[in-house]
Parts: sequence; C-alpha cells; structure tokens
Amino acid sequence: MNNSNTNSTITSYMPALSDPLLQITTVIAILFFTILLAKGITIYLQRALKDKMDKEHLNILIKSIYYGAIVISIVGVIFPYLQIDTSGLLVAGGVVGIVLGFASQSIMGNLISGVFLMVERPIKIGDQVNIDNKLGFVEDIKIISTIIRTYDGLFIRLPNETVFTTSITNYVANLARRFEYVVGIRYSDSADEAIKIIRDIIEKEPFALVNPEPSIFVDTLGDNAVNIIVRIWAPATQWYDMKTRLLWVIKKTLEENGIEIAFPQRTVWFASELNTRKMSDISETGYDEQ
Amino acid sequence: MFEIYHPPFTTVTEDTEIIVEKQGDDIIYKRLFKGDEEKELVLLNNDGNIVINPIEPVNLPESITSFLLIEFKRSAIIRPGDKKKIYLKFPTEIGVFVTDKSGKNYEVIDVFTLNKIKYTLYGSHTQGMICRHWESDIYTDEPDTDNLYEGFIELSISNESNHQMEITKAIFNAYGMKLYFGDTRLGMRASMRIINKLLAETDFSTYPTTSRFKRSMELYTTRKLAITTTKGIMEFGI
Repeated sequence: MNNSNTNSTITSYMPALSDPLLQITTVIAILFFTILLAKGITIYLQRALKDKMDKEHLNILIKSIYYGAIVISIVGVIFPYLQIDTSGLLVAGGVVGIVLGFASQSIMGNLISGVFLMVERPIKIGDQVNIDNKLGFVEDIKIISTIIRTYDGLFIRLPNETVFTTSITNYVANLARRFEYVVGIRYSDSADEAIKIIRDIIEKEPFALVNPEPSIFVDTLGDNAVNIIVRIWAPATQWYDMKTRLLWVIKKTLEENGIEIAFPQRTVWFASELNTRKMSDISETGYDEQ
Repeated sequence: MFEIYHPPFTTVTEDTEIIVEKQGDDIIYKRLFKGDEEKELVLLNNDGNIVINPIEPVNLPESITSFLLIEFKRSAIIRPGDKKKIYLKFPTEIGVFVTDKSGKNYEVIDVFTLNKIKYTLYGSHTQGMICRHWESDIYTDEPDTDNLYEGFIELSISNESNHQMEITKAIFNAYGMKLYFGDTRLGMRASMRIINKLLAETDFSTYPTTSRFKRSMELYTTRKLAITTTKGIMEFGI
C-alpha cells in the first residue's frame, strides 16, 4: 500500500516516459544528482570531522554515507520511477533485517559504540590507559574493537561496547601529572637540611615543572622516621621516567650529605644490668662455666 | 664558536669540547663535557662541513614542546592603546649541523646548551601547554648578553584593549623564531599584541635587530613539518 503510494507520488512529480531512451537519460540524471549530492555531503563531513576522527575511520564513515545515498536513491527513487515493484523486496529485506538484527546484535552494539568512541575520543592511539582493569598502550581503535598492548607486551582485544560502557582512566589525557615519594629520615637528622637538598635536586631536574610547583614538607613523625613528602609535577609523557629515576638520586644525595634513610629499629631498656660475656669465651671452653 | 668548520677540527667552549676527526671518507663527531664523552657519532661517507650556531631553545633534554615561556622578574604595566618596546633575555641552545658541499642542504646532528633547563605548564591541565621556562628581567635597552648562554628579544608590546594591563609573562612559538647572531650577541625581534586580560598574541619579525647580524640555521625550519601557526597564542592570561 505504502509502496504504491510512494510510486504514485514519485510518478506524479516525474511522469513515466514511454520512450526508453528518455527513461535511461532520466535515470542517469537522477544518479548523477545523487552522486553530486553524496559527494557534497561527504566533502562537508570530511572537513567537519577531520580533526575529530582519524583518517581510516573517517574514510569508512564517508564511504558508508556515499554508497548508502546511492542505494537509497536507486531503491527509493529510480525503482518507483521505473515502476519496478519493490514491495516484495521490502518484505524480504525486512525479514532478513530482523534475522540479521538478532544475529548481529552484539556486533551492532560494538559498531555503534565504536562510532561514539571515535566521535567522543576519550582515548587516542598511543595513549596509556586503564580500561576494564587492562593497563597498557592503545595500539588501535577499530570500528568493532580496541586493541591494547599491556605493559607486559600482551595483546588484548576489547570489544568497543566494553570500552564505551566501562570507566576509562587515561593516564596521558592531561598535560601534567603528579607523583609522590615518602622519604623517611632519622630523628637525629635535620629535616630542614633534607628538604633543602631534595629541593635542589628537583630544581636541577628539567622536567620537574616550575608551575605547578613541587611541594616538599614534613608529613608525619613516624615510629621510626621523620617522614618527608615530596610531590612533583611532570609532563604526562615524562612522568614515568622521572618517577623511576629520581627516588634513588634523592636517597644517594641525602646519604652523601650525612642524612640517612631510617629503617625500623627498637631500643630495649632492661631494669637490671645484664651479665654479658663475649661469645668467643664460650666457644673456647665449649660450655658455659656459669 | 658560531661558525662554519671544515673537519677535522676541535673547538672548546667553557667545559664543552667538540672534536671532529676524519677517518677515510667518514667523520667522527664527539662532544665532551668536563672531559666525559656526552655524544659520539659516525657520519658515513661525509665530506661536508660542520656548522655550529644557535637554535630555538625548546629542544632539550628532548623536544616535547615548541613553546618558550619567559616569565618577567618584575611585572610590566602598559596603558590602554599604548605601545612600548622592551628587551628580554632568552636561553641559548646550540645546534650542530652537517652540510653538504653546496651548503644548501643541512641536517642537525647534535643539540646542547650551557644553561639550566626547566619546563612549566601554562594554562589549564587539559587545554594549556607545556612550555620551556625562562626567567628574565625587563630591560629598556639592549641588555648585555653572552651569546653562548643568552640572547635578547626586542619585544614591541601594543595594548589594544581599553584597560591598563599588567604583563608577567610572554610565550613564543619556536616555529616563528628568527634568530640572528653576531660575534658576541644573539637577538630576535618579536611583537606582542594584547587583546584583553586573558588573550594576547606574539609573533616574530623576519628582520634582525641590527643589520650586522647573520641569520641562524633554524631547527624548526629544517624539519620541514607542516606548520599550522607561527604565533604564540596566550589565552590563559598574560
């Protein structure tokens, strides 16, 4: 019913021509205008989405729109104009669509998630991320899945639906990142001196940012040590190298300046004087004479 | 130090020594700091010259940004609609290039500096930028500088806003830098257009501060990258 209505609407605007040559010319003209329109739309999309999507995925999207427009034009305009009954085609297409829809539910979910990921761009290729407790580098973002290379070198393929619906931690999305050390020094050492030494080390470090400035302060008077907190901001790309290197530099420099890193120790006080002897006296006689 | 060298040669500056030796058709390049080798390269089948000259100061210890932020030791205040020329100091980075016989094609082989290197964040954590940091006083005349350590920027500031503006920093884009150097001095000519309290724009002039200066080989030109802008846009305050 609907199909016949569409046919009559289209034929009312473009009356059917009996001359086959004219029919062919009209069909070519419709196709030409469709291609022109599709080209225009794709050029516009290419410019609009150039910075928002990567080239590979943008090409897929543009091709889908381009060929989709041509298919819609053929089925929706040319077939009715040529008075080809498409009702059977639509019924068959509908049934096939339902079957395919059930069969490819998860694929479609992943596909749509993939499109949203490309537009929203919470992650980019090369970023260091934690997705669904999978830590590593983003190797590729495909239309259906995202590939992660873990820090151990493992290949992990995550369906885009998982990526889109789970929480994502992107370690390099922001420009700067902070890291922290706790440096425990002995009670007998000067915390002021230690802070000055640590500040000098940070001052010499190129990637320890001037702004936001580092903070170094005595945090707690612990059981075994005076705990100094050292907080340093670094560019997100340099953060890890610096974090892994700087603590040992601090430890060595403090020790070179006579400040020791404290370790757990306990002082025991005895109520009466202990009667002690050298171990060597015992080993010479073979037994304890007392 | 800033000149064209024909290998083999040795040049010593402060604690840095550059030794370039010829071995057959090859060139051995060595840079030592306080006697310790910092860099060694073998340039295969090379009969070109070595050029040492100042380059844009945003490359060390590795190139992570193209922006240089100069923080003023004292703030400068400029009246609305006013224009003023000031001088700032900037750090020197030294580039070592190898050229072919014609001298037209050149490639950087080493970069070093005698200065302290620090970086900073300008603007927000998400939209801002990481910049090479340098602190400079404001001078009304050309300051005395040693071109191995520092150069000067002749900065023409124009306040196009309707309000008096306090300037505490200036950001420059290495892609726009035009370095000119003489025997002892190194200079750049730049401009800063203040649009409002949060927005300003800096750019460089292609003319030297004095006609006696020679144009430096710039690293950000030799890379032949697609450049979007040569300007420094300060959109998080001045």
